[in-house]
Parts: sequence; C-alpha cells; structure tokens
Amino acid sequence: MKWLELVQVAGATLVAAVTVVVLYSLGVRLTAIAGDVTEQKPAWLRPLAYVCFGLCGAAVLFGLYLIIPYFGG
Amino acid sequence: MVALVIALALFFDFTNGFHDTANAMATPIATGAIKPKTAVALAAVLNLVGAFLSTEVAKTVSGGIIKEGSDGVQITPDIIFAGLMGAILWNMITWLKGLPSSSSHALFGGLIGAAIAGIGIHSINFESLMQKVILPAIFAPIIAGGVAYLCTRLAYALTSRHDPESGTKLTQKRGGFRTGQIFTSSLVALAHGTNDAQKTMGIITLVLIAAGTQEPGTGPQFWVIASCAFAIAIGTYSGGWRIIRTMGSGLTEVKPAQGFAAESSTASAILASSHLGFALSTTQVASGSVIGSGMGRRGTTVRWGTAGRIALGWLFTLPAAGIVGALTALLVMTGVVGVIIAAAAGTAAVLYMFLYSKKSHVGHHNAVAVEEAGQAVRFRKKKKKAMSASTAKDEPKGEL
Repeated sequence: MKWLELVQVAGATLVAAVTVVVLYSLGVRLTAIAGDVTEQKPAWLRPLAYVCFGLCGAAVLFGLYLIIPYFGG
Repeated sequence: MVALVIALALFFDFTNGFHDTANAMATPIATGAIKPKTAVALAAVLNLVGAFLSTEVAKTVSGGIIKEGSDGVQITPDIIFAGLMGAILWNMITWLKGLPSSSSHALFGGLIGAAIAGIGIHSINFESLMQKVILPAIFAPIIAGGVAYLCTRLAYALTSRHDPESGTKLTQKRGGFRTGQIFTSSLVALAHGTNDAQKTMGIITLVLIAAGTQEPGTGPQFWVIASCAFAIAIGTYSGGWRIIRTMGSGLTEVKPAQGFAAESSTASAILASSHLGFALSTTQVASGSVIGSGMGRRGTTVRWGTAGRIALGWLFTLPAAGIVGALTALLVMTGVVGVIIAAAAGTAAVLYMFLYSKKSHVGHHNAVAVEEAGQAVRFRKKKKKAMSASTAKDEPKGEL
C-alpha cells in the first residue's frame, strides 16, 4: 500500500492550504484594522496587509511553479 | 470503430466538464463572489489552460487496473467503447439527480465492467483497483474535509475582531474573502483542467495505440490534447447547474470566508495529489471541503441528509457504471449490429435524459438563490447574543 504517499499528499495539502488561508486572513484582518476610522493606528498597517496578500499570491505561484512540468519542477 | 470511440471519449470529456463545474464554481456562486455566467466562463477558460499545462496524468490513465500490455490481456477499442458508454450514462443520471459524483470513478467503473464482461475477471488487477480507486475514495473527502475544517477555523479566528475594552464584537469586515474566492476558485478550475481532461487524453491515446496508429509508450498527440481541452471547456461552460445547486447551497450555507477556506483546501489537495501520484477524485475532494468548512464555522448546519445521498451516489458509481459497461460490452461482442444497437441505445438514453431535464429546468438564473443563501443563515435560537453579533458580521456584505 502507498501509505507514505497518502501521508505526503495529506501533509502537502495541509501545508499549502493553511499557508494560503493564514496569509490571506492576516491580510483581511490588517485591511480591516487599517480601515477603522476611530482608532489611532500606525501607518504601516495597510502596507503590511498588502505584503500579506502579496506573499499569499507568491505562495500560490510558487506552488504552481513546482507542479507545472514546463518549468522543470 | 476507432473514430466512434474517439467521438464517444470526447463526449465523455464534455459530460465530465459540465458535471464538475460545480467543484470549482459552486461556492463563489453561492456567496455571490462571481456572477453565475461569468463563473462558468472563467472555469471554462481555466480548464482549457489547465488541460494544456500538464499531461503527466494522461500517461497513466487506466493505471494498471486492467492488465494491459504484452503479458496481460489485449485491450480492444470495443472494450473502451463499452466502458465509455457506462461512464457517460452514469454521469448523465447523476447530473439529472444533481449529485456530485466522481467522473473518474464512472470511467473506471465502466472500463472495469466492460473488461470483466468482454475478457473475464482475470483481466482486473484488484490490488491496483484497491490502491488507486477504493482507498483514495475513502481518504479524499477525509483529507479535504479535515483541512477545510482547520482552515475555516483559522480564517475565522484570525479575522474575528473584538473591542479590547468592552469585549463586544466589532464589525468583522470579512468582505475581502469574497475577492479572494475569485482566485481560489480559479485555482480549483485550473487544477481540474490539469487533472480531468487528462483522463480522456489517456483513453484516446490508448485507443490509437490499440488500433496501431500510434507507437506504444508515446504521449498524447497534440490534436488529442487540443480536442480534449476544448471538449472539457465547452462542457464546463454549459454548466451543470443542478450539481452547482447541490454543492452551493444543498450541503451547507457558504459564507465568503468558508468558501475561501474550502477552495484553498480543494485546490491544494487536487494539485498535491495529482503531482505526488496519489490520484484523488476532484469531486470527492470538493464535496469533502464544503462539508469540512461547514463544520468549521459555528452556527452553520451541515445537511447530513444531502451528504448521505451524495455518499450513496459514490458507492453506486463504480458498480452502476460497471454494469452498463458490461452490458454494452456483451452487445458489442456480437458484432457490427451489436455496436450499432449499443450506439443507438446510448444516444437515445442521453437524449431522453436531456429532454427529461427540460421539464424542471435548472439554469444559471435559479441554480442558487444568492440573496437567500447569504441572509437566511441558521443560527441556534439559544444564542441570542451570538445572533446579534453575527448580524454585525454579515454587514460588510452590503458594503461591497
């Protein structure tokens, strides 16, 4: 039986999905905080949110890069 | 015969496409992230792109389940014809019932049935069947569901906002997830293209090799790749609205954050599995994810009745497609007349189901009642406080 492959697939799925979701959620959260009008907040909040979205996109692209044989992955 | 099989294979590809639109696009349609028409168009384009991206899967389609090759039995176009017939009919039946069932299982079932009837039970490699079909079928929904559950919890935990002093819930502002859904669902569609169009390519290549027009051991030819890609894209665009309805609002109410988590898990699972060689069914992964994300958000109910109906459908997929495949194989074995009868009966059955479906039309206009799905969220009555807080949570929807 291919238990090892099963575990590999489960692990890869978990890591990939959690990475994407956590980064995107942080982005959403930071955008929300940055959008609050009442509070006194540091100026780096919004850029940081964009960094999170960017990292999330980069993670997805990296995943695709690994998978598509054309790129030698 | 070869031409007939290729035509049938392309038609199977078409049913596969429109059967599986739901996997990628049911949740964004349900949350209103993308308009239904746009969603299926997007899915179609991405399926097309995905089909061209990788042909790894195509090379191992029947994957040794039927012992083909020099030491095994000779698989003939007749057997493949019969198998495809079984797969197509089962796909049509489940579509009519709105059940998301695995197209790959239908294909395997049909081929297995045809091989047993046409060649004999010894032609089936049961160990390989267990390893490549049965076990993944059990684990696909579990893996995807578990990951989706975790992701949904994480997404909600990370974005839940409380006032530091009073502890009351602030506006949650989770609208960003809706935009994110566009990307994640696109990824699922792409993954589907890299995965499912391959199966038909593999079948056609198998036929060409069996007919002696292609060297054994070579990959699919370009025209095969192109026609399969287009068949699945057209199928996707036609949209299996019945199944979209089941997946989008039949299993559980889907919110943007949930949909995002579910789609991320689905895409990761499909891509990981097709890359690492432990093939999982797209449909089963997607259904598992939707259920998992439904369990992950407090206050949502998963309709286990529908889930059970789907699971039952999965159980029947392999044997049902197998029986049709076997019957067709027996018919085909009798000669040319048998082939004609089988082809005519198959066409008639598909036509009948298509006409029958017209009676209760489910189209893009009524597949998912978006407003209803967005607002009629069930919360348990005893949680009065949670209820008011949750309505606050829903507010950002209006802002978008």
